[in-house]
Amino acid sequence: MSKDIPHSVLRTETFGCVRCGLTVTALDPGGARRNHCPRCLYSRHVRDGVEGGPSECRSGMAPISIAVLRNGDWELIHHCTRCGELTSNPICDDDNQFILMRMAVRPLAQPPFPLETFGGL
Amino acid sequence: MPRRKPRQRRPQRRKDVLHGPGGERGDAFRCTGCRLDVPLAAPGTAHRNHCPHCLTSLHVDGRVPGDRRETCRGRMTAVGVTVRRDGEWLLIHRCLTCGKLSVNRIAGDDNAFVLLRLAMRPLVGTRLPVGALLAL
Repeated sequence: MSKDIPHSVLRTETFGCVRCGLTVTALDPGGARRNHCPRCLYSRHVRDGVEGGPSECRSGMAPISIAVLRNGDWELIHHCTRCGELTSNPICDDDNQFILMRMAVRPLAQPPFPLETFGGL
Repeated sequence: MPRRKPRQRRPQRRKDVLHGPGGERGDAFRCTGCRLDVPLAAPGTAHRNHCPHCLTSLHVDGRVPGDRRETCRGRMTAVGVTVRRDGEWLLIHRCLTCGKLSVNRIAGDDNAFVLLRLAMRPLVGTRLPVGALLAL
């Protein structure tokens, strides 16, 4: 975040969601800058993670998974729908809890091995 | 367990990358996490990149899998599991040195306990959105 932006401008800054079109404030309730839509959790690919700097891709990034940090906080893993790059971002307080929950339980709903074998442990 | 894949996918391309200890061709690699000697032949995948015992990988590839253009060579630990549309599980690795993320299909001989622990990790903490569950 650049220092020269006045705080009042930053507070009223908004962006439109790539997928659902919702107009979202750039700051979350906690005051941190957000990068994904709180309703559908989609993000936009604007930073090149491999070489750094801005990316020319600018397409939507779908949320695919939740990574849990050591301190217990959740991080969203985004996957670019066009070029396949991955990014991770901390979740906000007002993110859609249903989509988060759906992502957390989806691997367990489609296990590659029978889960009954773990029942005896 | 029956696979949920009705139509046949294109067979995976053969991987032709350097795996030996000095950067030469080899048929096995040593895990950086648990020092297990891992053979390259894996059931279910032709693109094994992580240890089946501890799921640790090594950061050697750049933008394209198998290109060996990365100079970082840091250890990559598995941070999460995601599911493809056809029901395949994918592992997400994060490099401990530079923080880069990568994704790879699980192999048939990957440790099921470690995989299941990874998948359960969001559900065991205190961060669980209980309110969303109660509203259902």
